Amino acid sequence: MNAHHLRRGALFLWTALLLAFIFAPIVSTIIFSFNADRFPSLPWAGFSVRWYEAVFADATILRGLINSLIVAGATAIVASFLGFAAAYVDYRYRFLGKVVYTALIALPPAVPVVILGIAMLTFEGRLGLSGTLTGVAVGHIVLAVPFAMALVRMRLADLDPDIERAAWNLGATPWAAVSGVVIPFCLPAILASIFLTAAVSFDEFMIAWFVSGVNETLPVRVLAMLQGQVSPKINAIGAIVFVVSMSLVVIAQVLIGNRADRSSKRT
Amino acid sequence: MTNTLTMLEIDRVAKRYGDSLAVADVSFTISKGEFIALMGPSGCGKTTTLRMIAGLDEPTGGEIRLWGRRLNEDAPWKRNAPLVWQNYALFPFLSVRKNIEFGLKQRGMPIRQRREKAFEWMERLGIAAYADRGIDQLSGGQRQRVALARALALEPEMLLLDEPLSALDPHLRVRMQSELVRLHRDLGITFVCVTHSHSEAFAMANRVVLMNEGQVQQIGTPREIHRRAANRFVAEFVGGNNLLSGTAVDAGNGLMRVDGPFGSTLARAPTDRVLQTGAEVTLVIAADCIDMLPARSGTGNEIEARVLTLEFIGSAVTVFLETLGGAELRIQRPLHEIENSPLSPLSPGQTVIARWSEDEGYFLPA
Amino acid sequence: MAFWAIPPILWQFAFFVVPLGFLVAMTFWSVRSFRLTPDMTLANWMFILKAGFFRSAYIYTFKLALLTALIASLSAFPAAYTLAFRLQPRTRRFLIFMLVVPFFTSYPVRIYSTQIFFSPEGIINAMIAPLGLGPVSVLDTPTGTVVGYLVLTLPLVLLLQTFALMNTPRDLIEAAHNLGCGRFRTILTVIVPTARVGLVLAATFAFVLSFGDYVAPLYLGGSNPPTLSILIADQVKSGNNWPRASVVAVTMILTLIVVMTAMLALAYGGRKKGRG
Repeated sequence: MNAHHLRRGALFLWTALLLAFIFAPIVSTIIFSFNADRFPSLPWAGFSVRWYEAVFADATILRGLINSLIVAGATAIVASFLGFAAAYVDYRYRFLGKVVYTALIALPPAVPVVILGIAMLTFEGRLGLSGTLTGVAVGHIVLAVPFAMALVRMRLADLDPDIERAAWNLGATPWAAVSGVVIPFCLPAILASIFLTAAVSFDEFMIAWFVSGVNETLPVRVLAMLQGQVSPKINAIGAIVFVVSMSLVVIAQVLIGNRADRSSKRT
Repeated sequence: MTNTLTMLEIDRVAKRYGDSLAVADVSFTISKGEFIALMGPSGCGKTTTLRMIAGLDEPTGGEIRLWGRRLNEDAPWKRNAPLVWQNYALFPFLSVRKNIEFGLKQRGMPIRQRREKAFEWMERLGIAAYADRGIDQLSGGQRQRVALARALALEPEMLLLDEPLSALDPHLRVRMQSELVRLHRDLGITFVCVTHSHSEAFAMANRVVLMNEGQVQQIGTPREIHRRAANRFVAEFVGGNNLLSGTAVDAGNGLMRVDGPFGSTLARAPTDRVLQTGAEVTLVIAADCIDMLPARSGTGNEIEARVLTLEFIGSAVTVFLETLGGAELRIQRPLHEIENSPLSPLSPGQTVIARWSEDEGYFLPA
Repeated sequence: MAFWAIPPILWQFAFFVVPLGFLVAMTFWSVRSFRLTPDMTLANWMFILKAGFFRSAYIYTFKLALLTALIASLSAFPAAYTLAFRLQPRTRRFLIFMLVVPFFTSYPVRIYSTQIFFSPEGIINAMIAPLGLGPVSVLDTPTGTVVGYLVLTLPLVLLLQTFALMNTPRDLIEAAHNLGCGRFRTILTVIVPTARVGLVLAATFAFVLSFGDYVAPLYLGGSNPPTLSILIADQVKSGNNWPRASVVAVTMILTLIVVMTAMLALAYGGRKKGRG
């Protein structure tokens, strides 16, 4: 009994330590972003928003933030469209080489971003895309399409194939059936994918680092700042990025969660 | 039905999926205003045939014609043949009203008109109270009505139904059955209904197309199929038939004697072919054509048999008998008749006389 | 169909397959008077494969990624076990949601934060000093790199392991207990084999992510010695020798293909035999 309690206690302690290791960097970023002291350490030097003020006074950071938002927005829209298309094709059609088709679309996240970055840089250099925000977005879309596809495909798994045929049977052309039946059904997943792919793009720094050139995105700016001396501004940026990304993810989660609720009610 | 117009022709239609033949050479015609049941066991090709009429599957052979015009290549959205799906296939994200309006919207009907039309059909089918509910808030029976309203709102000349009652509980099924019959009568349009249940088919349809393994086995009114099965498969599928195997002996006067483990019985010789003396034959006697008597009456076929068991199905009783020769006979009688019979109370082990007239039995082709 | 089928594949082909193909092609190009020239030379391959700095970076990166996969897998397992079997479903759901959070918090910022933690005047040293310990200095050492890799990989490993364990049929565990199998032996003989695919997958991800990471070895490891990703970045950003960087990238891809194939074999190998 005693040994059992000890073992149990040890398990919980270890789990707590591990979770602390995982979350400490995130929590401390947020806490120290409000620390008045220049060097983020104990003891606490008092509450202050001066680092946030510094961030918003820094034109390069603001430029990076705006660039990031532009890229994230473009990525979200294009990647969600492409992801929906790929998921719909996988759901609806059977054809030779479909496994290769879906694998090819889904593969990019399995390739290290360093390699995607250099491949993008060299290739886009030829097209004159490197150094542009378009170039960054192009790379982010490649990376984000698989996530969008996965989200929509999961939703489509719940769509009875007869539903689309029923629409045809009632006089809907294939176009009308997709726009009137398939897309409305997938809407929560499509919206979730817009937010999730925006978050993926917003946090991506490696492809952006290679490709962006002078048009730095926010994470690239952070990387550059990391190379310099300790700057509490990074904590403030980290906190801002955290709030933005998490809002996107929570919205996505809520959209998917609603779906889960509804489908569980159906049974 | 002789002077009605032929509306739909299914002419030597086949459907092949890879190596397997779902429908092999099926032909029948449907007249305007008929209630046709496509019946058969699962996998017989009835649903595929229906889907080919709707254009959801394209025939790999033969021709489907509507009013004489080839229909094979018409896209499903260009045919006005709405289908009531087995699982209803209602749009889960649309309200009842919007489900019903869906087809009208595709036709470009202005919103006010289609509101009115949808409302009419909801009233007619008793679902107006649920107009703004979501599909997941409806019971099975209510969904069925939405599916019907959604199809009928298009005012088609032909309604297709795929196992419309299979998802309902038995009580609702019977109610819906008579409701479908009433709708068919009131609307005067053609109904084509797929079902695996002969009781459903016989209760609703004017004419039944019985299929097995991709082929039509028999086409006829429920009565024809019930009383004169075209072959062994039909006789067994519709149920309630005794199939007796024996040897034929010519008895003269158009009568044929059949000898077997059940003893010896007389039946009218088939008029469409000649049965040789000594031929192996199958004689069919419907279970509800056999009487039970306490003693021989001296008329018709009379066989002494022992009661094995009794099965009570509602107000009918099925009695299983064993003849002295070891053959099994099944008899179906109304409960009140059994109760009021001199044989009552009927119990296993009891000996009775099974009797039927020479006209009741018929021969199946070999 | 074409309307839906073509855009995604066209996009991924044009901006994923083609750039990677271009990367492979470029390994055979040459740089003449600072200009990239299409060529069919093996010079870049010869140079890189023979270079001592490449070989040591390759071995170093591989070793560190392997070590990370091992440490992450072993240290996450007890926690995954706790999450999967020892917590209330509500707590578990909450923690699983929380574990998704790190994926969407800037990784460079997390590394920066870790850097602060471990800095000479950082929190860790401030905390252990009163105990008479330290000061520890992991920054700019291989240990620092591994710590960074763990920051990157632990959340994913823990999530995947938890999912794998949650899918272990509970009755199987109860049956093992019922047959007199002790807790620890049940873990080794029942839980680990049934969750094998997920556990191997988690370790594979840990390896793949660490192997390709650039931030941790740079900011926590002090890029000394450099990893392969640092070599690539250096070649591109300073040396401007893209063909050589491409050779490094292609060897990385080949390595990952081999590792993933091996891990898949480890995850699924002998499965059918086991069932029969």
